[in-house]
Amino acid sequence: MADVELRAITKRYGAVAACADVNLHVADGEFVTLLGPSGCGKTTTLNIIAGLDEPTSGEVLMGGRVVNDLTPYERDVAMVFQNYALYPHMSVADNIGFTLRLRKRPRDEIRRRVQTVAEMLELAHVLDRLPRELSGGQQQRVALGRAVIREPAVFLFDEPFSNLDAALRVKMRVEVKELHQRLGITSLFVTHDQEEALSLSDRIAIMRDGHVEQVGTPDDVYAQPRTRYVARFIGSPQMDIFSGRLERRDGVAAYVVGSAAFEIPAGAAPAYDGDLDLGVRAEHVRLNAGGIPMPVRVVQPLGSMTYVTVGWDEELLTSRLLGMAHLPPGEAVTVSLDPAGLLFFDRASGRRVLPDGTLA
Amino acid sequence: MSRRWRARLRRTGILMGLVLFVVWTLAPIVWALISSFLPLRALTATPPDLAPGNFTLDNYLGVLSADRDLIGGLRNSAIVASFTAALALLIGSSAAYALARLRVPGSSKILMLILVTQMFPAMVIIIPLFIVLSRTGLTDSQVGLMIVYLSFVLPIVIWVLKGFFEAVPRELERAAAVDGASTMQTFRLVVLPISLPPLFATGVFAFIEAWNEFFFAVILTQSNAKTAPVVVAEFSGQYVSLYGQMVAAAVIASIPVIVLAIVFRRYILEGFVEGAVKG
Repeated sequence: MADVELRAITKRYGAVAACADVNLHVADGEFVTLLGPSGCGKTTTLNIIAGLDEPTSGEVLMGGRVVNDLTPYERDVAMVFQNYALYPHMSVADNIGFTLRLRKRPRDEIRRRVQTVAEMLELAHVLDRLPRELSGGQQQRVALGRAVIREPAVFLFDEPFSNLDAALRVKMRVEVKELHQRLGITSLFVTHDQEEALSLSDRIAIMRDGHVEQVGTPDDVYAQPRTRYVARFIGSPQMDIFSGRLERRDGVAAYVVGSAAFEIPAGAAPAYDGDLDLGVRAEHVRLNAGGIPMPVRVVQPLGSMTYVTVGWDEELLTSRLLGMAHLPPGEAVTVSLDPAGLLFFDRASGRRVLPDGTLA
Repeated sequence: MSRRWRARLRRTGILMGLVLFVVWTLAPIVWALISSFLPLRALTATPPDLAPGNFTLDNYLGVLSADRDLIGGLRNSAIVASFTAALALLIGSSAAYALARLRVPGSSKILMLILVTQMFPAMVIIIPLFIVLSRTGLTDSQVGLMIVYLSFVLPIVIWVLKGFFEAVPRELERAAAVDGASTMQTFRLVVLPISLPPLFATGVFAFIEAWNEFFFAVILTQSNAKTAPVVVAEFSGQYVSLYGQMVAAAVIASIPVIVLAIVFRRYILEGFVEGAVKG
């Protein structure tokens, strides 16, 4: 058991900085995700925590102790790799027990602990098989087992599900979350899948170009994104963001995008006239509750909900309706925005502008 | 011409090429086999007399009973070739892994240097080599031959294995590091076991090289350490050339190599790394 702290971690490869001044504190037992697109430095950060890479500068602390000079083994971290990295010549049992074998544990203790882990991960019936004889989900669970048997201080996951198909990915997500709830081991999880991050994490660190853009609970980063980048990255479908202007007409605020002017109630927008980006999620776009008439462009029924995309000029706006909605394309609907879900961003910096006019 | 016909023609062409290649490769061996069963008289007739009645085991019996020590030569060859192969793997795999994965200063220069040693013709180095070996008392000894052969096969073993070790997924070694393995343990318990096919392949290569080598063996040995090829060559003497016995001896000397190749073919071809990582 240990907390993990990153202090001003920077990693340079020549002139390129893979990580630039990353600061992060992961509390004991917490599950934190590093989220971002490929090349944002999240895997480098994880490798530095693991001790597989050395930072150019900065400190890694575990349990309050600087561990920069310790090997992965001495840091007592266990890691699950993206491509599993199972030892191909060893049986499942030997793969899981390898770390105990290196520690020269007695043979029957190894067998006992492997058995316990295998039962927990539903691998007991394949213990004698080689990795290549397993399904993708089983291989993934062997990789988990190899990490779990250690009872490590910290779990590190490097995009562990990205090679699985969609259905299996959701299933493994449940297993990992259950595992974390049961064992309560401090976990760092790297992914580019925002849904994975939202569903698993206590907190999410969204990374961009080597730095941490925002750290927060799933609720925070979803509802209160600090920047346009975070707002776009989190949530599905992607948030619609417009490059329009806030105007005041007869004392009433309106957001103008091309030929459309959305009425903004008092208090929902900063007291500001001029260019400002507006982001709004699909669940905050209301159809046929008054507002501006627009034609339906595309309808995507998804069973439990339906995405309806309307358009005007060159702009598109997607609304989410619950259940299966049947709207013919081209039909006119009225569109209004839920004032509770309006997020304004400074165009130049991309930072969020709060209703009181300050930057987030 | 229709596409199907063109494909058929193509296949026929490839097939004929392969047949030609097989004939070209096997013809000398088949001829050696045939002549090893023929008496000198039938063999030197023009054209050779291949009447079934001519075939005999006399050459083989003669070889084994001759005062020329073929058995001793085979034993010397076996010892020299086995140790050459074993040492080449031991030294070569460690060196290759170090050059592939550890931060060795000037490793690319070292690699070039290793390759450069291969570029001198045998004629150039035989005389200095002979002097060095005779000063150290290693002429006509198995150890002397091993050292010489190692110096030829090691560069190739190192280059081949280095290429293979570089292709071993890095995650495997990282996983081992996280599991608590030292560099040595990672090499011994993870990298070597999954590298069996190239290890077999290079080991067999080293063995065959040492087994078949003639030029250095004939110059660096006189009696004690004479290897099979040298003994075989001696059947062609100054006054009589016992072609039949010579070929029979050559056939006998070829058998271990052929057996080796057949036995290890499966291991060499087997895709051991399959299933190591996904992606």
